[in-house]
Amino acid sequence: MKTTKTVNFEKLAAQLDSVKADIKSKLGEQDAKYIRRIIVCQRVFEWSGRILLMLGFIQPVLWLVGVLSLATAKILDNMEIGHNVMHGQYDWMNDKYINSKSYEWDIACDGASWNRVHNYEHHTYTNIIGKDRDFGYGLLRLSNDFRWRVKNLWQFVTYLLLSVLFQWGVSYHEMAAERVFFGKKKGDRDYTVSHSELKKRFFSKGARQLVKDYLLFPLLAGPLFLWVLTGNLAANLLRNLWTSTIIFCGHFTGEVETFNQQDCENESQGQWYYRQALGSSNIKGGNLFHVMTGHLSYQIEHHLFPDLPAKRYREIAPKVQAIFKEHGIHYNTGGFFRQYFSVVKRIVRYSFP
Amino acid sequence: MRALLNSLSKHLLHHQSWSGYWEPVVQCFKPGWREGYFRAQVKHVQVFSEQSVELVIEPEKAWPVHQAGQHIALTIQTNGRLLTRVFTIASEPQLARQQRQIRLLIRSQEFGAFTSKLTNLRSGQWLNISEPKGQFVMPNTARSLIMLAGGSGITPFIAMLKSLPADSKHTITLLYYAKPNSHWLKDELEQLKQSLSNFDYHLLERNKDGDATTWLTTNAHKHWLVCGPAALYKQAAALAKQLNTPIDSEHFSAVPAVLATSDKHELTLTHQGKTFTIDNQQTLLTHLQANKQPVTVGCGMGICHQCQCVKKQGIVRDIRTGELSDSSEQLIQLCISQPVSDVELSA
Ligand code: FES
Repeated sequence: MKTTKTVNFEKLAAQLDSVKADIKSKLGEQDAKYIRRIIVCQRVFEWSGRILLMLGFIQPVLWLVGVLSLATAKILDNMEIGHNVMHGQYDWMNDKYINSKSYEWDIACDGASWNRVHNYEHHTYTNIIGKDRDFGYGLLRLSNDFRWRVKNLWQFVTYLLLSVLFQWGVSYHEMAAERVFFGKKKGDRDYTVSHSELKKRFFSKGARQLVKDYLLFPLLAGPLFLWVLTGNLAANLLRNLWTSTIIFCGHFTGEVETFNQQDCENESQGQWYYRQALGSSNIKGGNLFHVMTGHLSYQIEHHLFPDLPAKRYREIAPKVQAIFKEHGIHYNTGGFFRQYFSVVKRIVRYSFP
Repeated sequence: MRALLNSLSKHLLHHQSWSGYWEPVVQCFKPGWREGYFRAQVKHVQVFSEQSVELVIEPEKAWPVHQAGQHIALTIQTNGRLLTRVFTIASEPQLARQQRQIRLLIRSQEFGAFTSKLTNLRSGQWLNISEPKGQFVMPNTARSLIMLAGGSGITPFIAMLKSLPADSKHTITLLYYAKPNSHWLKDELEQLKQSLSNFDYHLLERNKDGDATTWLTTNAHKHWLVCGPAALYKQAAALAKQLNTPIDSEHFSAVPAVLATSDKHELTLTHQGKTFTIDNQQTLLTHLQANKQPVTVGCGMGICHQCQCVKKQGIVRDIRTGELSDSSEQLIQLCISQPVSDVELSA
């Protein structure tokens, strides 16, 4: 590992395990009610948004409120509901619909494909260069682990584009499209899913999204076709920018570290926790902010305990921070602007050799 | 219409079902409403004898009334979790028709701790039930009947007896086996005996009275109805075959579990309709792989949820925490689940 601090990994593991066990024993009614309430909010935002978009012709402000409302619904769906439910955080409820096997989200990326890459590759091999494809999304050079290329010179623009089109970026990325479409072989990855299956999922989910937002709902609005179409476009854009920004702040701030493949061979639970700790960063903020980030503002806690209901990260965070302090592990947190600035700096810094 | 809405919902809302999509919203107005289930309201809960609970519930209007002898799946939400168990209805269809009530008699024996949760139910609370299921009902026969009940297997017979009209011509003998001092509903049986002219019953204990062989053999010309533990049924079924006697039955086997990991035990694993013999030492994932079953594998250590599977039945232990699962249907991660009882996984 790059940091040569000596950490008592056994103790670290025991302490973090006990934090987890404590929360697990408390899970219940409250958590189930919470996620159902968020789903209710999502439904209300979504449908009031869709209706308001059509009332834009009466008063453009209504359209604007509609856009914000729909964007909020999409963000809630992707972050607090989709991401977390698909992580299996609520599987213990035994609910037919609120579980990682059956949830599908409102984004171009097929849920099952995302689940496979994100839950398996990213969460198991966090920030291991060559194994965790999320590091830089194959587009950006974010550490010296990668050779510098000319295209890195304008990678800040690439980053902005990625943010704008984030849902497509994610979809393309999770499919490992460079491999599926262009036959580029990458490492020792073995998949249980065939390329044609991946392609099918990519296109069918993507197409459904396009048809829904840019054809069907606008058509339903009849003469208000354009109001609804542009409204959906704007809502998707807002959602893309928001999710991308939050995710970058959680993974690519200045101090986040990378690892190499040897680091995870015969890794103990403590070492795994340690790698998760150094591979992510938090963003400070208010309650509403945390909900809107799907509690990924607690990225460190999420990486340590990916399947604990995310709202619980709030109460775990101080304990985790204290444990880190005891072991001299850096707990990377800061305000939104600080973290975001740090991300921008990193992207720019590695644009150059 | 429903198909249309579901397909719209699938394509536009990414939800498999239209009503499922709205479920959390509907629940704000109709507590306990769940797609694919019937609602029922708790009328009365009573611990009526040691380890036994009587639950009277009022199903919603749409619930199709049962036939005496049928069972339902009962789903309760307890501390955020949905738990489901199957129980035979212990009341007559007339009660359901006239007062919209059904009664369940439940023994709180299980270590899945479902039944103990029932005692926490308050009247007025909502829970969910399935439609009535099962074929175990009064046979259409001119023969006299022998009812053989073991333990809580008395419930369908109570329902059947109570649904008989007073002038019923059926001659019925009930043989009711239970542990000493744990026969249920003695008063009600006595009342039934008074009101039905051709009904008689015997409260039996295995230790004292021996098994049912003599009773059954001397009644070979009658129609047998059996409900109780698997062992009781097996014995009766073998006899029936020998004597060529008509027999209807419903039997249940409590999932026997091996709790100690230290000893090796043989168990069975049913996966996609195929059954394998496994032991209780390895994870289910290892067993499935050893048997060359198609499984999705990821991290192999409980992080990624790729190996997730629906467990239909059986108990598993989380190898990380030692925690035991519930015995009913739920999602499990194969790579960290060690079988503790026979396990059935869904397709
Ligand atoms: S294989 Fe990753 S959770 Fe089982």
